[in-house]
Amino acid sequence: MTVTEAVMEGQFFDGLRPVGVPARMEFADREATLTAGSLREHYAMSGLRVSPRIGTTDRFVSLPDGGQFCCADHACLDALTQESPSEGPVAWLEKRWGVALACTAVIFIALLAGYFIVLPAAADRIVARIPMETEESIGNQAVAWMDKEKWLSPTGLEPEVRRRITADFVRLCGNLPMESRYRLEFRTSELFRANAFAMPGGTIIITDDMISIANNPEEVMAVLAHEVGHVELRHAMRSVLQDSVVAAAIAAITSDAASLNAVVAGLPAVVAQTRYSREFERSADEYSFGLLKRRGISPEYFASIMERIACNEGEATAKFSYVSTHPDIWERVRNAREAAAEKNKP
Amino acid sequence: MTTENEPDYSAYSFDELFNMSNRIDRELYPEKAKRLDAELELRSRGDYGFNAFIPAEMLTAVSEPEPEPEVPTREVSLEFRGSARDYFRIWIVNLCLTLLTLGIFSAWAKVRKKRYLYSHTALDGTPFQYLARPVPILMGRLIAAAAFLLYYSSSTFFITWLPYVMAAALIAAPWVVTRSAAFNARYSCYRNMTLSFHAGYLDALKALYPWGFIPALVMGTFLEWPGKKVVMVFGWAVFGISFPWWICRVKRFIVENTSFGGRKGDFSATGGQFFGIYFISGLIMLAVMIPLVIFVAVFSSVIVKSPYIPLFSLVFVYAAYVVAFSYVQARTGNLVWDSIGIGPLRFRSTLRCMGLLKLYVGNALGIVATLGLLVPWAVMRTQKYRMDNLRVSAKGDLADFHGGDRNAVAAFGAEAVDIFDLDLSL
Repeated sequence: MTVTEAVMEGQFFDGLRPVGVPARMEFADREATLTAGSLREHYAMSGLRVSPRIGTTDRFVSLPDGGQFCCADHACLDALTQESPSEGPVAWLEKRWGVALACTAVIFIALLAGYFIVLPAAADRIVARIPMETEESIGNQAVAWMDKEKWLSPTGLEPEVRRRITADFVRLCGNLPMESRYRLEFRTSELFRANAFAMPGGTIIITDDMISIANNPEEVMAVLAHEVGHVELRHAMRSVLQDSVVAAAIAAITSDAASLNAVVAGLPAVVAQTRYSREFERSADEYSFGLLKRRGISPEYFASIMERIACNEGEATAKFSYVSTHPDIWERVRNAREAAAEKNKP
Repeated sequence: MTTENEPDYSAYSFDELFNMSNRIDRELYPEKAKRLDAELELRSRGDYGFNAFIPAEMLTAVSEPEPEPEVPTREVSLEFRGSARDYFRIWIVNLCLTLLTLGIFSAWAKVRKKRYLYSHTALDGTPFQYLARPVPILMGRLIAAAAFLLYYSSSTFFITWLPYVMAAALIAAPWVVTRSAAFNARYSCYRNMTLSFHAGYLDALKALYPWGFIPALVMGTFLEWPGKKVVMVFGWAVFGISFPWWICRVKRFIVENTSFGGRKGDFSATGGQFFGIYFISGLIMLAVMIPLVIFVAVFSSVIVKSPYIPLFSLVFVYAAYVVAFSYVQARTGNLVWDSIGIGPLRFRSTLRCMGLLKLYVGNALGIVATLGLLVPWAVMRTQKYRMDNLRVSAKGDLADFHGGDRNAVAAFGAEAVDIFDLDLSL
C-alpha cells in the first residue's frame, strides 16, 4: 500500500530546540509537504523514515534534513518507509495474545526440560571432558582455608587407628576409575561434628566424631563409600556447572524486576539448586550401596550409622526439605535397607 | 485568536521568531509578517517575560537591555502511559526468543523493552525515544560475559590469577562507567535531541576512586597486604562510614557530565545529606536487631533447641532489611532528583518509604505466586509509581536548550556500528 493523498497533523521538532511547533504533513504524488508555522518544506517520500510502532504511542518521522515530525496517525505512518524493516516479525508476534500464551507454554516447557533433562545430561558430558586434575587445586585451597580459619583442627586419633582406616579405605577404592586421586584426611571439627566430605579433586575428609560414632569399621567404610560416590560421579564439578546455569537463567528472567532480589531471584535459585544437591546425594548413596556390596559390606551398615546420627542430631530437617541440601535422612536409611535386602535376593 | 493556519506566535522562542521573520515571504503573507514583527517588537522590549536570547544583529535595534525580568515557572507534565497487558506480550515474546537463542536475542529484547518504557513516558506531552541498536548491546554483553567468566573461573579454579583479574577490573571500571553512561545518554532522545555524556577516563577515575582509597582497599584485601586483619577491618569500616559521600560523588559525576541541548546538569546534594539517610536506615535495622537478639537469647535459654529460631530470626531480619531498603530508595531518590537542575528544568520527587515498601512487597508476592509471570506487571507499576511521584517544572523557556549539531545522531543514522560504541550496562 502506498499513500497517495493524505494529511497528518502533528508536531515538528527542528532538532535545535526541544520545542514543538504544530505542524501538518501532506502527501501528494510521492512528495511530502511539511508545514510548520511559517516553515514549508518538500521532501521525497522515499527519504522519510518512520520509527517503529510501539503500542499506540506517538511515532516519529525522521526528515532528511534532520528535523522530526511527531504524530500518532498509525494507518498513514505504516504505509511509509520504516526505519528498521526487520522489526516486522517480532512486532507481529508481540501484538497477539495467542502468541503470548504459546510463548508462556514454550518457556515453561523449555525451563522444565532444561532443568530436569538437558542441563544434567550436558553437565555429564562436559564433566567427562574436564580432567580431575583441574579440580585438585580448588580442593587443596579449600582444605587449607578451612584449616586456617580453624573450621578444621588436627585429628586426635591414634596413628594406629588412622593406619587401619586408611588401609580399609585403600581397599575400598581399589580399581575404581579415580583410584589414583583419592587421599583420606583426618580432622576434628567443632563446627561439623560427625561428618565426612569429599573435596573437589578426590580428597576426602572425615571427622573424629564420625569415627567415634561408628560402632565398627564397616560403618566407617559405608560413610566413606558415599563420599567416594561423590568423587566418582564428579559431583563437585557438576554442581558448579549446573548451579551457575540455574543462577544465570533465573537472573535473566527476574532482572527486570530487580528490587527485593533475595525473594524474587534468591528463593527460586535456592529451591532449584538444592534439588540438584539432593539428587547428587541420592545418586552418591546409590553408588555407595553398589560399591559396598562389591566389597562384601552390607548397605545395612550405612543405614545403621545414619540412623544413629539422625538420633544424635535430633530430627528437624524434614520440615525444610525443599531448601535442604540433603534428602530426608530417614528416606536415606530406608533406601539403604532396601538395597541391603536386595542383596539376599537371587 | 489563532486560526488553524495562523500559528500562535507567543508560543515560539525569540530565536525562532527571529529566524522566521528573516525567512518569511512578506509579499505572500503580509498579515503573518505583521503579526510576527509585532511579536518580535513586544519581546525585544523585554516585557513579555521570556528570557529571550538576543542575537548580536538585533542588539542594534534594541535600545538598552532591560534588567532581567522575573522568569515564570511552569509545571511540565510527566506521564507514564505503559500498560501491563501490552508490556506482558512484549516481555514474554522477547523472553521466549532469548531462551530459544540461548541469550543471543537478549540484546534485541533489551532494545524492544527499553523502547516501550521510553516511548510510554511523556514529558510535556511528547514521548521519549530510545534509539540504541541491538548489535552494540550484544557486543557489550559478550564482553561482559567474557569478563564474568574470567572472574568466575579465576575465583573458583585459578585462585592465583585472582589478584591480576581484580587489578584489571579496577583499571577497567572507570572506563566501563563512562562508556555505559555515554551510551545511555547518546541514545536517549527527546524531541529530536539526544542527551550526551562527556567525561574522560581520568575524570571517572577521580570520581570513583577518591585518593586511590578503594583500589588500595580491594587489592589489600585480596593480597592480604598489611598482614594484619585489624588494618583491613579498619579500612573497610572507614569505607562503610564514608560510603554516603562516595555515592554522592558518583551521582554528581554522572549528573554533571550529562548534558542536553548544550546545558550541563547541575547537582547540589551533599554527602552529608546522603549520610543522614543511610544513618536512619541503619537505625531502622538496629531497632529490629536489638529486640531480636534479646528475644532469641531469652527464648533459647528457655526452650532448648528449636529449628524455628534461626528461621524466624532470618525472616525478621530480612523484613527489617526490606523496610530499610525502601527507606533508602525513597529518600535517596527524592534527594537525587531534587538536587538535579538542567537548564530551566527542576525536579521534585515525592517518593515515600511506605509507598515503595507496599510496591516492592506487592511485586515480590505477585512474582513468586505466579512463577514470574507478573514480572512485566511489576515493572509497569514501579515505573508508574516513580513517574507519578516526580514533578517537573521549567523556570523559563524550554528553548533555553539549544542543540548544536543536530546531525550527530539522526534517528536512523545510528546503524553504523562503532567498535567503541558498546553498551556495557547490563
